[in-house]
This record gives sequence, C-alpha cells and structure tokens, in this order.
Amino acid sequence: MARRSRRTSFEDVKLDMTPMIDCVFQLLVFFLVTMKFEDIMSRLDVNRPTPNPEKTQQEQVVDMIRIGVFVDGFTLNARPVGLASLESMMFKLADLDKTQTILIECAPDSPHERLIQVLDLCAKTGLSNLSVLSL
Amino acid sequence: MARKIREGLNMDMTPMIDMVFQLMIFFLVTIKMEQDLTNPDIKLAWAPSGPAIEQKDPRTIVIEVDRRGHISIANTPMTVAYLRGILANSVRMQGYGLPVMIRGDHRAKHADIRAVMDACSSVGLWRIQFAAVKQRGR
Repeated sequence: MARRSRRTSFEDVKLDMTPMIDCVFQLLVFFLVTMKFEDIMSRLDVNRPTPNPEKTQQEQVVDMIRIGVFVDGFTLNARPVGLASLESMMFKLADLDKTQTILIECAPDSPHERLIQVLDLCAKTGLSNLSVLSL
Repeated sequence: MARKIREGLNMDMTPMIDMVFQLMIFFLVTIKMEQDLTNPDIKLAWAPSGPAIEQKDPRTIVIEVDRRGHISIANTPMTVAYLRGILANSVRMQGYGLPVMIRGDHRAKHADIRAVMDACSSVGLWRIQFAAVKQRGR
C-alpha cells in the first residue's frame, strides 16, 4: 500500500474487475445451461392425389414408376427390392427423366420412417414429382 | 481507496444492477423459446438428402402425429374431424396455397399419417410437406 501511494494519482485509478467477472460468469453459466444443439430439419414435399374416385389414377398407373412401401420392405413396380437396389434403380430412373411422376404406395401398417426413407431417396436422386397413395 | 474501505457504508449498486439486467435478458430470451411449440416426444425420421428448412413460411400449419397416432397442432390434441374443420377454415381464409407440414414420429403407423393426409386433401390441400431431421445436433 505504501509503495502504491507513492505513485502518481493517474496510475492509482484501478478498474474494479469484480462486476465484470460476475457478469461474464453469469453469461457463461447461462449459455452453458441453455445450450442445446438444434437439429437441422429437412422438408420433403409430396403431392397427395385426390381421393376423388372420378379422377382415378388407374389408367395413368401403367407408365408410372410405382414404389410400394410395406412393413417388411419395398417394392418397385410390384417387384420386391432392398433399399440399396432401390436407390441404384432410382438413380438410373432419375438419369432418364427427373420430372416423371413417382407413385409411392404405402401400406397402412408400415412405419412412417419407411416412407421418409423413400422420400429421402427421391430427394437424393432429384426426383421431384412425387405422389403418395395409401393402400 | 483506503478511506473508503474504512467507512464501509457506501452500497455499491453495480452488482445488483448487473444481476437485474441478467434476469431481464434471461426472461426475454426464454419467452421467445416458448413460442416454438412442438411436441418433444416426437422423434423424426432421418432424411439427410432432403432440402433444409431455412426460412419456414409463418403461415405453415404444423400437424404433429406421435407414435401412437395422436394428432396435435401446437401440443393441442385433436380428432381428425376437428383437424379437418381447422384446415377447412384456414383454407377459406388463406387459400389453397397454404403450406401444411406433417411432423410424424418415425414409429407412427402410416395409417395415422394417412388420416392426416386425407384430412388435408379433403379440403383441397394437395401439397404436403413431411418434416425430417437432416442433421442431428451435437
């Protein structure tokens, strides 16, 4: 103390760090507590064809790609396929035409996850004209 | 400096004001959090290739379907008939361009998702979005 008083008065002006450290600590604790890593969401757009029987899909179905979603797997034009082979086939289809209509037929007891898997594949391959039908 | 300590009667208001400010900011921030009403129990399926949701249309109606098939909007449970009424009213006010997003749990049966989609298409909303997780946080 004695040595400090011998210095000039200008040097004697000390900044009290305590409130600032308190504040910074509070902010730190606040952000640590509230920190929650947000999931990045994606959106998958589909068309829902009208359930109206007069606009029936039956006559168009012939030249459309039909993907079936069932509890135990997928089908492509009524042929059972695995997810990997479905992906490779869809890449080939997308090479031909990205705007062709893909009809996704979903079994009522299949989990929603499977439909999302197919829609994700469609997004991956760039196929954008998707219709979801329920069996 | 030394004299001030010996007196010891001046109350320093700075820490109190700091704390009040902190509390104010805390409540301002947490109030904004409450507006984001989604059911935390719903675990979305994983779709890494889908386009990310950057700016959500504020008109978007987010319909949630949990794994047991219960339908809710903003944590308000409802029946399919009630949902259809809400959608019909919204379409009447906002037109057919109204975006609809379905947040379905990945374990939900398609039949329950279908009920929501049928409600949407019965009032004329053909375009439906499904929400999925592009990238998990952490």
